[in-house]
Amino acid sequence: MRITVATAVHWTRGFLQGWRVALRISGANFRARAAYRGDFVTALAMGLAWQASVLVFVTVLLTRFPGLGGWTSGGVLLIVAIRLLAHGANVMVFHPLYLVPKLMQQGALDGYLIRPMPVYRQILLYTFPLSGVGDALSAVLLFAFALTRVHLHWTPLMALYLIAAVIGGMFLEGAVQTAVSIIAFWRTMPLAVFMWFDRMIATFGNYPFSIFPLAARVVLTGVLPIAFIAYLPAAVLTGRAASTGVPVWLAYASPAVGPLLYILARYAWYRALTRYESVGG
Amino acid sequence: MTAHFSPRLVLPPWRAMRITVIAELTQPSRYVPQLTMLVTQLALTWWLWRALYAKVTESAGLNVSQATSYALLGVLFLQFKSVDRSSNGDAMDQLMLDGTIAYWFTRPLPARRWYLIRMCGDLGYGGAWALLGYVVCRAIGAIAGPPTWAAGGAALATLALGLVITYYLQAIVDLMCFWSTINDSAVMAVQLASSLLSGAFAPLWFFPGWFQRADGFLPFESTLNTPLSLYVGRLPVSALGTQLAIQAAWCAALAVFTWWLWRRACARVTILGG
Amino acid sequence: MSTGTIMAEGLTKVFRIPARRPGFGGALKDLVKPVLVPKVAVDDINLRVEVGELLALLGPNGAGKSTTIKMLCGILTPTSGRVEVNGIVPHADRTANARQIGAVFGQRSQLWRDLTARQSLEVLRDMYGLRDSDYRERMKEINRILELEEFWDQRSRQLSLGQRVRCDLAAALLHDPPVVFLDEPTIGMDVVVKEQVREFLRDQVNRRGRTVLLTTHDMTEVARLAERVALIDHGQLVYDGATAGLRDLAGVTWEAHVTVETVPVAIDVPGLALTGSDGTRLTFAPLPAAQGAGAVLTPRHAIRRLIEYLPVTDIQVEEPDLEDVVRQAFRTGR
Repeated sequence: MRITVATAVHWTRGFLQGWRVALRISGANFRARAAYRGDFVTALAMGLAWQASVLVFVTVLLTRFPGLGGWTSGGVLLIVAIRLLAHGANVMVFHPLYLVPKLMQQGALDGYLIRPMPVYRQILLYTFPLSGVGDALSAVLLFAFALTRVHLHWTPLMALYLIAAVIGGMFLEGAVQTAVSIIAFWRTMPLAVFMWFDRMIATFGNYPFSIFPLAARVVLTGVLPIAFIAYLPAAVLTGRAASTGVPVWLAYASPAVGPLLYILARYAWYRALTRYESVGG
Repeated sequence: MTAHFSPRLVLPPWRAMRITVIAELTQPSRYVPQLTMLVTQLALTWWLWRALYAKVTESAGLNVSQATSYALLGVLFLQFKSVDRSSNGDAMDQLMLDGTIAYWFTRPLPARRWYLIRMCGDLGYGGAWALLGYVVCRAIGAIAGPPTWAAGGAALATLALGLVITYYLQAIVDLMCFWSTINDSAVMAVQLASSLLSGAFAPLWFFPGWFQRADGFLPFESTLNTPLSLYVGRLPVSALGTQLAIQAAWCAALAVFTWWLWRRACARVTILGG
Repeated sequence: MSTGTIMAEGLTKVFRIPARRPGFGGALKDLVKPVLVPKVAVDDINLRVEVGELLALLGPNGAGKSTTIKMLCGILTPTSGRVEVNGIVPHADRTANARQIGAVFGQRSQLWRDLTARQSLEVLRDMYGLRDSDYRERMKEINRILELEEFWDQRSRQLSLGQRVRCDLAAALLHDPPVVFLDEPTIGMDVVVKEQVREFLRDQVNRRGRTVLLTTHDMTEVARLAERVALIDHGQLVYDGATAGLRDLAGVTWEAHVTVETVPVAIDVPGLALTGSDGTRLTFAPLPAAQGAGAVLTPRHAIRRLIEYLPVTDIQVEEPDLEDVVRQAFRTGR
């Protein structure tokens, strides 16, 4: 098959057009949220306050429980920082997936099916993720703080790996959220289930997993793949890839796990949607 | 006028508490995830605290058994608020948005009392889960017993008042719907605040002094931290008097505020659609 | 049953809506310093419904029908004016008022989604404090007409719209209230179920003597159900009187379409005017009372006369579309 220049140009134009529409919709969403001033301020403040409190706790924990599995406090802060950066990015992009149960209930999905835009994208553009702004801000601040405490010799390759890890973590969380929203197609899914995954990652994703017994590590790597978000990339960056308990190649490849799982989840979502369409809701 | 006080009109409406129980238990897609999430979270919490205390015997006045019990009880406490009404279309903001709230004002039951009945149903159902979890955890030794019977009793008393405060806080957030249905952020804010600042996320004793002092000005601490600290023995039973007084003060203040909010809300009912 | 009169005097409701200024700068301004603009939803309405009467409240979307009915139910507090239902001021004493009214708000169900319809009705029984024996009797009666037992053990989430509204009607009448408010109850229903509901309402009004206030869009409903209709537009009462009188107001009448064997040279049927012809198909309308002899002809008499005067092979009488009547009425009302 020969891809002509014309096809390539056509595809690129379609791609750019898609982004332009998405950005315009995001702008409109932002204005819509700004119209409800109480909620706007609260959402921003809440994102910041929650992250700040978690940070406070982690720093306190580090002083009270030194030597977590042989990790320095700087190393643990790096784990937290990477997790927060990934989470902030995730909220900015994938947050509206939480609303799938609500949209299903309102019957909004039927309306989306007849519009000339992929349903998944319409869901992502449903609202402007204000709390993500707060999350992202505090993530950047903590990362700056962590940089001062973890004494690493940063090379361009390490910087790239870090960026890959953040993006990978973003997609990994996105994969979990996409997978859970598939269930919402068939069952009345309480919002609590989404929030639960979020909370689990926030609660247990901050620690070097080497402190956990085997059973816990299996749960946190295999069942809820939290390890790949921040712990393993941080282990690689701080030179502890050999002592993580997973094969070294897997530790190095951890940023790729997220996107892979995401592609799977996204495909499964697409299949679930086609089945939903044909049944008629 | 005597009709208002006849037992036939006051007691039977309370049977409506069973709405929550029926709704939750007739759908496996509700209780199966709840059970899975609870078991997973309890297990992970247990492992975490055991791992943290691997090299330390005591921290912030808590030994490993106390800290673990506290953390696990915190997870169980979250079950009280585990009923999610939005998937039944029964959440306050949904009722306001689709106008079904109108029926609350055409029934011979004050809206306030109806809200209380439903919340009691929710808290009761969640409480049953919490109790079940507690019994199982005690049986397998994950949660230690209270040091003395007195400590246990003190914990129960403060827990009861703590639940009353929790009820009022939730009512205030729900009442905000009468002023704006776009209050998702406020709802989440209170949820996170109440889980973090009450000690459900992690024992408050580990937080820096300034944090604990600031938290002392808020009602969240007295909902959970007080009963749990009494239970694990971090607070002596002699502190019961002071703690009950603080809780009672919060109850009174929140009760007055909530009563005032209800009055304003009922006068202000605005339902979409013309 | 106790009496049930609905009385509204000078009823007014003004909402204060935040203005939306355009553009990004406007959005920020609204965030910091919002401006409230008064919007008059209901303007000085006077209404009176007697015991055992059925009044239909008609009006376009946004006319203020729902706002009016909510003030009459006691849900909204009027900005000014007086409301009394059976002697009680609804918004002042909601609990007492609740015992004497039943309400169905179309598209909004009282039923709990995850309970069966019967369980929902049992909850309402507890709320109203009904005795078990009274409850069973009421359910038997309601079931006889609305035929609920076919589906009352299904979860209300799974019921069709028609089934759900029938359950909502049952819920509204469970405690035997003398006054019933219905806000677009048959919206979205199919014809069969609509007729079933109307049967039920007619029975409740005629046999049980309930006072019913009904808001609707549906012209057939008004024509079939209500002898009296009130028109609301832009929050104001444009017309309040007999349904038949509405046609007189609008100046729209029925028409008779007649197919004749052969078209006669001169067509002169007393009391009727030829308004159109298409080959052998002729259209007649009654002459207004002033011009013709005596009162306006009824369709029945007109048919007889037409058959007398013309070689009729087919005859068809078309009642005026109430849509047209209402549209015309709004125009003349302004």
